[in-house]
Amino acid sequence: MKKYTPYLLLAPALLFTGFILIYPVVQNLINSFRDVSLVRPGGGWTGVLNYERVFSDPVFWLAFRNTVIYALAGTVLALIVGLLLALVLDTNTGKMCSAAACLYSIPWVISPVVAGFAWKWLLNDHFGVLNYWLSSIGIVRNGTSWLGDPRLALVCVMAARAWQFYPFAMVMFLAGLQSIPGEQYEAASVDGATALRKFFYITLPNLRPVSSVLLLLGVIWSFNDFTMVFVMTRGGPINASMVLPVLVREFSFVHFDLGKGSALSIVIFAMLFTLSYLYLRMLTRRERL
Amino acid sequence: MRRIVLFALLCAVMGVSCGKKDDAVVLRDWNFGGKPRMIEWLRQRVDQFERSHPGVRIEQSQKSWNMIRELLYADYSVGLGPDVVNVHANYAAEFGGAGYYYPLNRFPDFREVSGWYVPHLLESTRYREDYYGLPCSGIAFVLVCNKDLFDKEGISPPRTWSEFREAARRLTKDTDGDGTVDQYGLVLLGGDKGGFAYRLAPFFLKAGAEILSDDLKTVRFNSPRGVAALRLLADMYQVDHSVTPGFLAYTLTEVNDLFCSDKVAMSIEGPWFRGMVDDKSPGKKIYTVPVPVPDDRIADYDTAPTLQDMVMYSINARTKYPERAWEFIKYLRNEEADMAWIREDLGALATTRRALESPEAKALADLPVYMNELRHARPWPAHPCMIAIASDIFAPYTEKAIVGELTPQAALDQAAREAQEMIDEKK
Repeated sequence: MKKYTPYLLLAPALLFTGFILIYPVVQNLINSFRDVSLVRPGGGWTGVLNYERVFSDPVFWLAFRNTVIYALAGTVLALIVGLLLALVLDTNTGKMCSAAACLYSIPWVISPVVAGFAWKWLLNDHFGVLNYWLSSIGIVRNGTSWLGDPRLALVCVMAARAWQFYPFAMVMFLAGLQSIPGEQYEAASVDGATALRKFFYITLPNLRPVSSVLLLLGVIWSFNDFTMVFVMTRGGPINASMVLPVLVREFSFVHFDLGKGSALSIVIFAMLFTLSYLYLRMLTRRERL
Repeated sequence: MRRIVLFALLCAVMGVSCGKKDDAVVLRDWNFGGKPRMIEWLRQRVDQFERSHPGVRIEQSQKSWNMIRELLYADYSVGLGPDVVNVHANYAAEFGGAGYYYPLNRFPDFREVSGWYVPHLLESTRYREDYYGLPCSGIAFVLVCNKDLFDKEGISPPRTWSEFREAARRLTKDTDGDGTVDQYGLVLLGGDKGGFAYRLAPFFLKAGAEILSDDLKTVRFNSPRGVAALRLLADMYQVDHSVTPGFLAYTLTEVNDLFCSDKVAMSIEGPWFRGMVDDKSPGKKIYTVPVPVPDDRIADYDTAPTLQDMVMYSINARTKYPERAWEFIKYLRNEEADMAWIREDLGALATTRRALESPEAKALADLPVYMNELRHARPWPAHPCMIAIASDIFAPYTEKAIVGELTPQAALDQAAREAQEMIDEKK
């Protein structure tokens, strides 16, 4: 009996994990090879037909392109802002600085749904604050439609996403900056290095591991992000800001084609799995070093 | 002693919890949408029903229209779903046809009950030979005009397409002289695909275009009259610039905000709009008029059909208590209950003859226009794929045409091809 006790104790947790994690993933995988629809009879095996339908759908390729841009450009933007703020906070100390760090972290703790709605109102063409400010200094014409213009909508949701992610980057960069040995800067000062040279030859190389992890994490999280895009644009106008997670919902719960939706979610899963594998490899390599 | 006290307490707790055994029949009711006042009225009505029917308890939950199809399909497909639900009447074809709704004409007193309602409203709950709902609130799409802006410009609400286009052009202007247009002639609701299709269809119907053929087998919205209707709006957007540039992102909230703040002069809306405007901008005056017709159809101005929509109360085909559910929906929709829709603005029109012909109804501002429009209006064709076609095919392609990504002809041809494929697949 003693032999089985650990397994018995583990069983509830394993069953729970299996039920909420493994079962949905396996069922989703099965559905992706079947004709599953909520609105018509079906259920038969279709092989890779759902995958073919996903890859032959032009909206998939549009959403894929948008997702890559949204994830990459949004993350890079967040990293740049996060790094700049971390540098400012690192060079100044004191109570004001701690208060500023707390203030800068606010976007990270705001619910994405709330943030999405707030951004939607900020960007409103007639009543939005952004248009009011920008038009009062003559940068844009009043009434510029940020979310209603197919050329601007993706850029706007990307900016909102970067705004949510930069505090995390800032905190990580700050930790990275504080772990750089001061002797390196002292030695560079003795050699007469300028602040810019110190930044490029000491700070940036030392921050490379943190940056890579942040970049990968940011891309993974943004790739998987549904909320911000759904709240702000629902993938519109005319699919201009459609991203893959929103498209899964579109296939599954707008067209009720669960087979196609499942196939797309498996495709996303494969992409994210690859990125996560790279992330873990990077972490283990860092630990070895 | 302590043990005895604990035992006594335990017995008391168990006694209380067991003593409240509830033998009542429980009916689950999902209510989609509605103005706050309408929801309050519904709660009161449900309370009254429970008091007068002690053996029945109603479990009511409030849901959003935005989620209606996914919620219903998710539940119905696994054999669940509420016993009673309020849905759009055109769901009779999609859900009734799929066997999810109980045919109400099977109840022995259906003939008597059906006599309460305006006949053409009741007809829109029918799919093939069966009726799948009791009419709840009638809706006809009309043109709503901002009276202040029209009066300031010295123009009357338009009746023809030329007048409509001209009015929109004149009402599009830079009011504060900063060199930027800040008032537009027309706003379209483009951020909600379903809502957009419902506001575009009246132009097609007024032009004499059909959506589907009478036998529901062929797509017809890409006829020359349909293309002309779409071209009208495309020209207003691309040539006249009299439509709000950001309309593709607007939901009803933005449309209402723009209208109430005098940033737009016209919108295609229904009976809910006056109340919305009143809530935000009390006392604001509006003209409610039929959607304009093509110039060559001016003789049919009063009789050309607009789009009719309606909400109905339906019963789940799998309910264990169809008789009780029938009693419940009759109680919600009987002639006496319908008077509430006359006495207060609940966001839609009454549907019973007694309410609409009552002396109180004569005092309602927009009722004659809505009644006339409803008399001639047409619902979406009763095809099970119609809602999907309207939201997922018709709306996105026509939006592309309005902003100039496709020509009206190409957009409608492409949409018609995809819609036809969907219909053929269903066959």
